[in-house]
Amino acid sequence: MEQIINLLINGISTGMLIFLLAAGLTLIFGLMDVLNFAHGGFFAWGAYCGVWFYSVTGSFMLSIVFAMAVGLILGAFTEKVIIKPVYGNHIMQILITLGLMLVLTEMLKVFWGPNQLSSTAPEYLSGSWQIGNVIIIKYRAFIIFVGLLVFGIVQFILKKTRIGLIVRAGVMNKEMVQALGINIKRVFMYVFMVGSAMAALGGAMLGPYTGSIYAEMGLEFAILAFIVVVIGGMGSFTGSLFAALLVGLNQSFLAYYFSELSLAANMLLMLVVLIFRPQGLFSVRG
Amino acid sequence: MKIKNISNWSILLVGVLLCFVPFVTNETGLLIMMTNIFIFAIFAMSYDLLLGFTGIVSFGHAMFFGLGAYSTAIFMKRVEPTMEWFFISVLVGIVLSLIVSIIVGVLTLRLKSHFYAMLTLAVASLFLVVAEKWRHLTVGNDGFTFRVPDVLKDRPTFYIICLVLMIGIFFLLKRFINSPLGRVLMAIRENENRVESLGFVPLYYKVTATVVAGVTASLAGSLFTVVLRYINTSVFTMDITLNALLMTIIGGVGTLIGPMIGAGLIEFAQEWITELADVHPIFERWIIFFGILYILAVIFFPTGIVGTVNKWIAKAKSKRIEKLTPKDEKMAG
Repeated sequence: MEQIINLLINGISTGMLIFLLAAGLTLIFGLMDVLNFAHGGFFAWGAYCGVWFYSVTGSFMLSIVFAMAVGLILGAFTEKVIIKPVYGNHIMQILITLGLMLVLTEMLKVFWGPNQLSSTAPEYLSGSWQIGNVIIIKYRAFIIFVGLLVFGIVQFILKKTRIGLIVRAGVMNKEMVQALGINIKRVFMYVFMVGSAMAALGGAMLGPYTGSIYAEMGLEFAILAFIVVVIGGMGSFTGSLFAALLVGLNQSFLAYYFSELSLAANMLLMLVVLIFRPQGLFSVRG
Repeated sequence: MKIKNISNWSILLVGVLLCFVPFVTNETGLLIMMTNIFIFAIFAMSYDLLLGFTGIVSFGHAMFFGLGAYSTAIFMKRVEPTMEWFFISVLVGIVLSLIVSIIVGVLTLRLKSHFYAMLTLAVASLFLVVAEKWRHLTVGNDGFTFRVPDVLKDRPTFYIICLVLMIGIFFLLKRFINSPLGRVLMAIRENENRVESLGFVPLYYKVTATVVAGVTASLAGSLFTVVLRYINTSVFTMDITLNALLMTIIGGVGTLIGPMIGAGLIEFAQEWITELADVHPIFERWIIFFGILYILAVIFFPTGIVGTVNKWIAKAKSKRIEKLTPKDEKMAG
């Protein structure tokens, strides 16, 4: 029983990290039909910047803020320089963002070397609580808390504010929103930047969770995020939370019982969704 | 029609000229490199069938390459390094690629192009994980060496075999894209909805294209591993797909000569940059240069070398026609 609860917490916290990556991906796709293959690169950059800034300043919270700032800047740069010239051309977008992904990954190796970096949680987040026989690791609880917080904030912005209204309307029908006099391209850029910052946040929080970071993890997590986006439905924010938790739990339980099968099981999940509900579980456009 | 014949003949001529290389030089390094160029040219042409002719982006083309490479390597190691078993192993690789490409294609090609790119990326990484974990068969990342049939051991002979195969596959693929089926593929690239409204089923044609591309890529993988006489999980990595992407994009998408030129250029450039690593360690990270080059190529030269040259030729021609026409008009007037 304790084991199951531990795996549950483990899975939910992994799911939250994947959610931070997938949420930006799905909003960007829903709003502007751009599938950003470089999104995993932002995740890896967030992780490295977080670890580096933490080692320089000694403040974990500041390092997270720094990583998010780097994510914002990278997002703005990507949108302006890389994606703008190829709007409306799907094939070009896919090709060019993959190129950016490779460059971002290699740049990490130039700055920080090709080896793994070790990463630790700050004092106040390491250790664990014991409730009965169940041990809850503090840092995992922290990830779940932050994930839920981000979900709450973004959900609030999407549902209760004007900008959220514009974004939701844009996901449904961007031509109509544009016809109503809203500069959807600028909205898109903000969404892109926020999505990148969320990915960087996820990366920055991953370091202390797994204990070490490496440049290729960007692509590995991006693949999980793609699986999540397919299962949850392109453009659906709630769907990406649900699917991320599903993938995270799948990952943690299978990694414990049959470690070799975790990626295969997630792929299988995606294949089943693709066969029976190709538009995803929570599709916006139906 | 005339120009097409000229390009066919020039390919044959270059092929015949390249046949003499092993008689002129004995440098094994050069021969191996040229053989690799031919093999990657086959691989890149198969990739261009998807990207350039059908408009499908695949980020997991390495999986077919790897399937071919592993089936040949495993047969040579486990069974017997003879020609018969080599042919059987190539066939096994082809059949496996056929099955995988049909499954992946049928599942995702009815959706937007993003899905195929995502799913191939995911499936290729799954193959990489399987190759790493199934140590009993693959020895994981360490890989294993194996013996190859005596006929294929001789570098010049294998050079000629690969050259002939490259030229042969070039003409076969050319025949394929000029067939009615190939024409439908190009129509799908231009406007899928219109093709559908004309009564074709795009899914069927797209799956056929991925099958042909996958099978060809698997053959390239089988040849590749024979050159090395060694295999490890790197045949399934992103680097292999990236090679095909770069060769196709830089050489020229939507042409078959482009990927061959691209294969030559990229292989030479890789060799050259790796040598520069002694000068400055940044050159060890050659993917950065290729990545930046690739991004610039996508933005500024989306048609690649062959496409750009073709544009120049077309421009020069239209200028010549412009020069001629006013005179004719005057004469007529």
